[in-house]
Amino acid sequence: MNLSGILVIAKPEWVNEVVASLNDLAGVEVHQVDEAGGRIVAVQEAEDINAEVAALRRIKALPHVVVAEMVYHYIADDEKVYEGLPPELEEGEACAVPAYLRD
Amino acid sequence: MGLTRRDFLKTSIAASTAATVGLPMSKQAEAAVRAAEAGWQWDKSVCRFCGTGCGIMVATQGGRIVATKGDPDAPVNRGLNCVKGYFNGKILYGQDRLTQPLLRMTGGKFDKKGKFTPVTWEQALDVMEEKMRWAMKEKGPHGISIFASGQYTIHEGYAAAKLMKAGFRSNNIDPNARHCMASAVAAFMRTFGIDEPQGNYDDIEHTDTAVLWGANMAEMHPILWSRITNRRLTHKPMKVVNLSVYGNMSSDIADLEIIFSPSGDLAIQNFIAREIVRRNAVDWDFVKKHTVFTTGVTDIGYGFRPAAADKFHTPLEMEVVKNEQVRVLDKYEAVAQRRKAGEAVEQKNIATPGRHWHISFEDFKAALEPYTLDFVAEVAKGDPDESLDAFKAKLQQLADMYCDKNRKIVSYWTMGFNQHQRGTWVNEQCYMNHLLTGRQCKPGDGAFSLTGQPSACGTAREVGTFAHRLPADMVVDIKKHRDLTEKLWKLPANTINPQMGSHYVKIMRDLEDGRVLFNWTQVNNPWQNTANLNHWIKAAREMNNFIVVSDAYPSVSAKVADLILPAAMINEKWGAYGNAERRTQVWRQQVMPPGQARPDLWMMLELSKRFKLKEVWGEQPIPGLKAEGFPDGKLPSVLDEAVKMGYSPESTLYDVLFATPENKKYRWPDKIAKGRPNITAELLKDGWFPEKALFEEYRQFGVGKAHDLAPFDVYHDDKVRGLKWPVVQKDGKWVETAWRNNEQYDPYVTKGAGFEFYGDFAKAIPTGNLDGVTDPKPVSLAGKAKIFFWPYVSPVEQPDKNWDMWLCTGRVLEHWHSGTMTRRVPELHRAVPAAVCWIHPKDAEARGLKRNDLVWVESRRGKVKVRLETGGRNRMPRGMVYVPWFDEGVLINKVTLDSTCPISKETDFKKCAVKVYKA
Repeated sequence: MNLSGILVIAKPEWVNEVVASLNDLAGVEVHQVDEAGGRIVAVQEAEDINAEVAALRRIKALPHVVVAEMVYHYIADDEKVYEGLPPELEEGEACAVPAYLRD
Repeated sequence: MGLTRRDFLKTSIAASTAATVGLPMSKQAEAAVRAAEAGWQWDKSVCRFCGTGCGIMVATQGGRIVATKGDPDAPVNRGLNCVKGYFNGKILYGQDRLTQPLLRMTGGKFDKKGKFTPVTWEQALDVMEEKMRWAMKEKGPHGISIFASGQYTIHEGYAAAKLMKAGFRSNNIDPNARHCMASAVAAFMRTFGIDEPQGNYDDIEHTDTAVLWGANMAEMHPILWSRITNRRLTHKPMKVVNLSVYGNMSSDIADLEIIFSPSGDLAIQNFIAREIVRRNAVDWDFVKKHTVFTTGVTDIGYGFRPAAADKFHTPLEMEVVKNEQVRVLDKYEAVAQRRKAGEAVEQKNIATPGRHWHISFEDFKAALEPYTLDFVAEVAKGDPDESLDAFKAKLQQLADMYCDKNRKIVSYWTMGFNQHQRGTWVNEQCYMNHLLTGRQCKPGDGAFSLTGQPSACGTAREVGTFAHRLPADMVVDIKKHRDLTEKLWKLPANTINPQMGSHYVKIMRDLEDGRVLFNWTQVNNPWQNTANLNHWIKAAREMNNFIVVSDAYPSVSAKVADLILPAAMINEKWGAYGNAERRTQVWRQQVMPPGQARPDLWMMLELSKRFKLKEVWGEQPIPGLKAEGFPDGKLPSVLDEAVKMGYSPESTLYDVLFATPENKKYRWPDKIAKGRPNITAELLKDGWFPEKALFEEYRQFGVGKAHDLAPFDVYHDDKVRGLKWPVVQKDGKWVETAWRNNEQYDPYVTKGAGFEFYGDFAKAIPTGNLDGVTDPKPVSLAGKAKIFFWPYVSPVEQPDKNWDMWLCTGRVLEHWHSGTMTRRVPELHRAVPAAVCWIHPKDAEARGLKRNDLVWVESRRGKVKVRLETGGRNRMPRGMVYVPWFDEGVLINKVTLDSTCPISKETDFKKCAVKVYKA
């Protein structure tokens, strides 16, 4: 599971429309709205970050959206991120040569 | 993870996001954030990726990075991140991080044809030392080389330059920034006498017009693009113009999209200048007080091998390379250069391409005369499906903007200008139009060169990791500059080699012809990023030489190497970068590197312990050296002088260059670390703080020279988010400079001058006319900038009946440069898994091809297999294909042409001729 905090900026007169379209998107929740400034804070949940990047594009493509960028990236509970870490090695200990360099 | 915890997390993320962008937070939200982030340590850092230089906050817990967010206090990005920036935490954790030195071995011994085998650091440095000794014994100091980087930290670049130039007396160090920024540098130096932009990113919020010249900012500089987008939607007069050779994402909000032919930009700039003069839109007050008119030699070749090229190139390649000696002018060049079509012009100035001189305004005006709307439209129209009239109307609209005195304009460019066979000229043409109309160094008005790498400015340029440079814009072939450097570095006189080293492409050529026997590649990927790769891969693998590659991941270059050294990444070491707006930013080490990976700085310092003065400061052969005060062909021994200065021939380079008594005064641990580690200091175990000491030493170069930096600790202050140099102390405070050369902002401008171009490089030049020098006596232009005239020149290789398409290369949003890092983030990899070849649907159809077909893209130099894309984000005009270069599986640089701007030596990756057919 991936969670990210996204800032969406819309022209103030269109804020309500944009909030409605954001709430219609799967995995997206609007948490805070600054109507005067046209700023909307949304949290997006996606299976993996691929889905998340695609979802951000979806947001950018919504009508009346001026800016949509990620602000906050939560990776703490994403154990998969760390699984790839090679084991800590002592001086002189051999490690596997990455496959790409083997042939 | 339970639902409750997830909801709680979401509340906390929303609250944190809101706080980051400056929205008020409720008490409950604050509590949620506190609970979710309990035990986390947040610290400021900088994005690892492009030259924008966004501030990133990094959270660590238990020795791991657990979260990143945009830095709300960073003036560059104000809390936002782009897709790449978002992954700063993740790039450390790819599955194939290199964690052990790997040496090609057979039967326990080094063997160039052997297999990569893990070795200890001791063994790795042993073999490196031995091979460097061998290379220097065979060929002298220029037998060794470093491929340096615009991604070095400032400390790393400084140590590398000092180790090579002061220690080994070799100028063969050149950064990958040569591939991306060299043309911008040459133009800054020649136009203003000092490097780097006058303006800053805040120009966006002051301007009425953003003109993009071959810079696809929507994909390459997304955060600046979000600022431009915001300006476009909130400031009514704001217009965006996208000049490009194909339609791209930046066209989406553009008011005007101009698709021009490769090198057509040279003609378009002259058309604008002609209109400015013709319509009397010149800011005469500015022009008369602050500028002079200039031009220079044009028979300067195309940056190929200057001689004996046929020894190394195939006959097919020679069809293009032969232009280096003689160019037969085409009909457009003939008009543009006031000559006859078909005239064979001997390229007499390939060794002196930078010669230039004063001309009169009348000459300047006469030179612009051929660049009429009719002529320029014919030369520069890039889309065969657009009508000439429609294209002319667009050129008129563009000229109207420049001629409107009430309109503020910022011009942006990156690789479209810089990677250009006349890259220096086209940069200078952009300044021409800004200077003519007095639109430079003012908020919202300026020509602004964007950078591609995080420290192309801060390290490669400012520190001077180029073959010709010393710190703070100084160069090796000016005695005064060497003298000052030797004084600051405490070196005997004449230690520094006055012969310019080999530039990036030339180091590759030197490896090919056996002139260079040793190379150390740091923080970049030369065997993926250099044009005409087949030559260089062969040179590395089949010649008797030794290639060392330091990297965090197994790149193409690592694969080509003989020895691979595992490198620490951004938050695994202390660092500093300088971004495109002169902003120097720093970070602390947050986590430890995995396994045996080590910071590049540590590698250099360890290596320096292995060489003694007696080995490197004795007499050294430099083939071809001719310089005043030096014997021909060699550097004198400076050992006697060194002894007089208190050094011993037995002193190591580590003691003389790095762990000096002055530097050892900066002790580790230091309270500025706030308890964070420093792996370099801790491994060296001799109690000094190398990053701080080297930064303080480096600072001395800029003080009082309009390159001033603040002390190390000032940048580490919690409240500081980088400072734009020159940073000058005023009333006890360190004050940055927002707009240079403008009296209102820049303390270096003489009071009452208004504007002053005080940079002192190339500020005394001869006088002449459009045909040449008439009076060789140098005339000073102190305090002024140059308005250059340069003619249109056609690309050296153009499509013909055999090679019938243009090839343009570049980057994509999701990946960064060669993708060594971003391709390790599986999610980014899946977003754009492999490079594709963008083509116009009609071009595909005409070749019997369709989307997703596997095709060959082939040039005179090589071919690659790639899938075809007829839709998507790039809209190609008929006759041109685009292939990004991030993908190690599609090495498009096997196809590209190694022609460079003859002045800047930067390769043109944007135009060569290919054919596309079914694989």
